[in-house]
Amino acid sequence: MTSSAHEGAQGPHHASGAAPVALEAIGIVKRFPGVLANDDVNFDIQTGEVHTLLGENGAGKSTLASMLCGLYQPDAGRILRNGVPIELPSPRAGLQHGIAMVHQHFRLVDRFTVAENVVLGSRDLSFKLNRRELNDAVAAVADTYGLPVDPTATVGDLSVGQRQRVEIVKALYQGAEILLLDEPTAVLVPAEVEKLFENVHAMTQTGKSVVFISHKLGEVARISDRVTVLRNGCVTGHVASKGQADAKELARLMVGRDIDLAAQRASHPIGHEVLQIRDVNLTMNGVNVLSNISFNVHEGEMVGIAGVAGNGQRELADVIAGLLSPTSGTISIGGAMSTDRGPIAARELGLAYVPEDRLGVGLVPSMSILDNLLLTRDRNIVVDRASVMPEATRLIDEFEIKANGPEHMARKLSGGNAQKVLLARELSGGRTATKLLVVCSPTRGLDVGAIETVRRLLDDARSAGQAILLISEDLDEIMSLADRVLVIYRGAIVHETPGETASLEKVGAAMAGLTQGSA
Amino acid sequence: MRAPFRLQFEQRTETPKRLGILVPVVSVFAALIAGALFLLATGHSVGDTYSNMLSDGFFSSTGITDTLGLSTVLICTGIAAAFAFQMNLYNIGGEGQLYVGMIGATWFGLYFGENLPSFLMIPIVLLGGALCGAAWIAIPAWVRARLGTSEIVTTLLLTYVAASLVNHFIYRSGSYFRAPNTMFPQGRQVPDSAMLSPIGDTKMYPTFFVVILLSLALHWMVRRTEFGYRIQVISDSPRAARYAGISARRTTVQVMLISGALAGLGGATLIVGSFQRLDPGIVTLGYGYAGIVIAALARNNMAAVIVSGILFAGLRSGGDKLQISTDTPIHIGVMLQGAILLFALGGEAFRRYKIRVVRTPAVRVEVTA
Repeated sequence: MTSSAHEGAQGPHHASGAAPVALEAIGIVKRFPGVLANDDVNFDIQTGEVHTLLGENGAGKSTLASMLCGLYQPDAGRILRNGVPIELPSPRAGLQHGIAMVHQHFRLVDRFTVAENVVLGSRDLSFKLNRRELNDAVAAVADTYGLPVDPTATVGDLSVGQRQRVEIVKALYQGAEILLLDEPTAVLVPAEVEKLFENVHAMTQTGKSVVFISHKLGEVARISDRVTVLRNGCVTGHVASKGQADAKELARLMVGRDIDLAAQRASHPIGHEVLQIRDVNLTMNGVNVLSNISFNVHEGEMVGIAGVAGNGQRELADVIAGLLSPTSGTISIGGAMSTDRGPIAARELGLAYVPEDRLGVGLVPSMSILDNLLLTRDRNIVVDRASVMPEATRLIDEFEIKANGPEHMARKLSGGNAQKVLLARELSGGRTATKLLVVCSPTRGLDVGAIETVRRLLDDARSAGQAILLISEDLDEIMSLADRVLVIYRGAIVHETPGETASLEKVGAAMAGLTQGSA
Repeated sequence: MRAPFRLQFEQRTETPKRLGILVPVVSVFAALIAGALFLLATGHSVGDTYSNMLSDGFFSSTGITDTLGLSTVLICTGIAAAFAFQMNLYNIGGEGQLYVGMIGATWFGLYFGENLPSFLMIPIVLLGGALCGAAWIAIPAWVRARLGTSEIVTTLLLTYVAASLVNHFIYRSGSYFRAPNTMFPQGRQVPDSAMLSPIGDTKMYPTFFVVILLSLALHWMVRRTEFGYRIQVISDSPRAARYAGISARRTTVQVMLISGALAGLGGATLIVGSFQRLDPGIVTLGYGYAGIVIAALARNNMAAVIVSGILFAGLRSGGDKLQISTDTPIHIGVMLQGAILLFALGGEAFRRYKIRVVRTPAVRVEVTA
């Protein structure tokens, strides 16, 4: 079934010494109303390599990939397959040339089995499906590349990582030689990322080519044979061979200026205890979500909570913020008990909380920046917007928020600017001055430039004496910012270590549940 | 065969402001055109029918005052629906709350009317009606807030109960609401102190102005007050409301009670106005259901409900008069209402999507593998 492979791999564009060029794009131009998404872009992919397209959100990576797989047509430029010019009027034409894209948002039918999803869209199916044959064929493709999927499982029951595997198996089953993976790690937890990288290696070993689209510097440096950097629709740089990718240099090419993501620790001595958590347990629907959690955070200190998603982090944050009541145990903020007193009482004690979901939890999408600033504050019976207006203008200025003004709707902000609005509100204090800041995944999905800003803001808040609890799945972030690192696993703190001397191996092992006790 | 062009829907990033007015206006005209097709098909003159209807509804001195008189109750049920819709609460039982509002207003009128002066009685009757309308929605509100039971089903079903209640109070002999000593079952008239006199020689009552002020006050409340702010947060993002410590349950109950009270007030305006008694004929008039259409046409904007309410009242009263003056069926007015709703809801697509005509490129020879 995977026999639509292409005759040989020879072509006129045969870089001497290097592997043959499987696909080449020359002088690609693509305009959307008001935007030049791709401006004279050149890109090529060799057989058996991983070539990364790196760039910030909106740099034109996905647009380029969409043209390479036939989803969009370029306004100008040529696409060559094995040196022969081709036209790709549709994704089906792309598939006929062995090019397939795995989209960021999966296109699977939840109620179908894995095998049914994989063969969906094939034109040469018999009227009556021979399920056993199909299952075997799908399993065979999956096994070849070390992609463990059960062909008979229902897609709706699978995890996000498994669904992604189904998409990849589908592309391979359809005869893809070149796979375009659009931000594949955005939806994955660290362990799944590792698994994906293994799969990618298995694929390139057998001569498949992978175009990896990402804006995450760390993983790009690890997986890529070559890197092409895009900024504002133009190619701003190439990194030619494996191992040469230097994160700092890539960041500069991506953003257009130097980026400083160096480790930052508390520069002032830490002060009094602000947050105290004692023996907190939480049981939801009969499941122990948090068990015996005790720790504290001091003035001017940043404590990081590392862990794989779904190990109780969100609930821990909600318990501290007064949104959930613990089954047992106590929480105090600034020396006053806040257990069971609700979110407004917690805020009155000096809590600020940046939730994981910016738009929809932290911010109301259809409201203006101004109204969103009022969300966690004391509003009078008649909302006095006029008196908050100067502050809103000042905060937009101070936090460098790109917006048309305080009336700008939250939904229309970019991810980075939305996060800045949220931080601006939470850091500036509402009901009382902020003493304790709880932040969840503050830089997830943000551009490098925005990540740098958010980290600086958190560091400034720490220097200003606020106690900060940083809950993040981004281990790098925790390791480079936190003064103390706690690891949460299945709702319990299983490891504690100072940030300065934390060992990546030990923390990683604790996240995977491989250790007990603490350092 | 391929069509030479196709229509492509493109999501708008921003809805131009003018569309907010353009879409309802065009909807009304489109509905009139659709109505014209029916008139032609049934052999009626489009020009005569519409010009009679417009002049009876809007452009004659008795026509316009009749319309404004009728609009009072329609604006009430319109803001009742619009207010709940603002928070995505679909109170479609305004009809039933209106009946119960009438029952309540009548009871307060009959019970206190003999002893109290008019300046006390009118507010008592109006507030009594509103209170009973709120009471009628209290159970749907509570189960919706507590258990998440669909208010669409509960409010609608309670309308049938309310209709039976009205009939019960009139047809049961010896009922407190039934006029004594009459052969024909009929409601007992409320005392003079519980009745308003119409303005001059018209069918308008002062309650019209009260209702207009109420609409504007609610419009202001939604936009400017803490309560309105909470409604906006909850309707857009319940999770953000929880995060901010705003109780969605409490606000749900509050909003539904107010919605029910407004519909009940509509019923009370009928009692102090033209009805003067509990009249089982109310169940055939559909004033409460009309409120849903009026709210939709106004896109749940409380101030715009005034305009759409008056427009609807004009179509209805103009349509009713057609029946008397010509042989045109009364249902043309009802049909136009339905058509307006249909076009107004369909027009929403134009607010959210841009529609562009794309030429289909000449059929290209598919690249073969």
